[in-house]
Amino acid sequence: MRTSLTETKRIEEYLLELGDVQDRLLTEARILSNPDLAGKAEWQSKSYELIRLYGSNKLRKEISMIEQKLFTDRRYHSFQHKIRAIFKR
Amino acid sequence: MLVLEEEKVRTRETTIKEWYQEVFPIAAQYVKQRGGNLEDAKDIFQQSIVLYYEKIVHEGFQAESDDKTYLMGIVKKRWLKHYEKSTRTTGLGGIDLEEETEQNPIVQKLLNYLSRAGGKCMDLLQSFYYEKMTMNQLANRFGYTSERSATVQKYKCLEKVRNEIKQKALSYEDFLD
Repeated sequence: MRTSLTETKRIEEYLLELGDVQDRLLTEARILSNPDLAGKAEWQSKSYELIRLYGSNKLRKEISMIEQKLFTDRRYHSFQHKIRAIFKR
Repeated sequence: MLVLEEEKVRTRETTIKEWYQEVFPIAAQYVKQRGGNLEDAKDIFQQSIVLYYEKIVHEGFQAESDDKTYLMGIVKKRWLKHYEKSTRTTGLGGIDLEEETEQNPIVQKLLNYLSRAGGKCMDLLQSFYYEKMTMNQLANRFGYTSERSATVQKYKCLEKVRNEIKQKALSYEDFLD
């Protein structure tokens, strides 16, 4: 793995608390003394947040498609009838 | 007990369908009795499934009782939150005090940009970090010859996304907070 990828991996282990504790302490010390590395760690941390949101949006789309099928496909007629009855009252 | 771990997508679809067929009618009834409509019920139910899924996959949670009962518990909490929010919003002339991160327009803009510019990388990264796939499953899904190649690609993508976010977001001050 090229040097920059190894660095990304080390930042990941530090941020997500994975792998060897000694290695993480070493990364922490490097981050504290190197503003460039500290910046990378900060952006990487934000990347994880966005990846989580991206995943959750993707799941929400998947759920919407399943929902759409359940509310329109004839195979689920009895389900549709049940729900319509609830909101008709 | 339904499990969301093996053969993720297929199993997930089956599980979600089952939740809709068995739990959604109860959730809809609950929302209707409290003054909500079908759209409210659908929205609350989708949010609840996402929360429950995240709890299972990210925290390794297993409901002590029936998982459908647990899902219904989340629905009730979400409804309460929705109700409190709408009351507060109405009371303050339409000002929303608790805008969630997902609705933050800057975050949405960044997510849209990343889907367009780096969709494949984002799909790979979310499969690992959000769906919690193993490297082996990742290699199979994205056609890499080995776990090692998938690992290298994962870090390449992470680095690419990190740099793109930095470039794009530096002009959005709110994102830096």
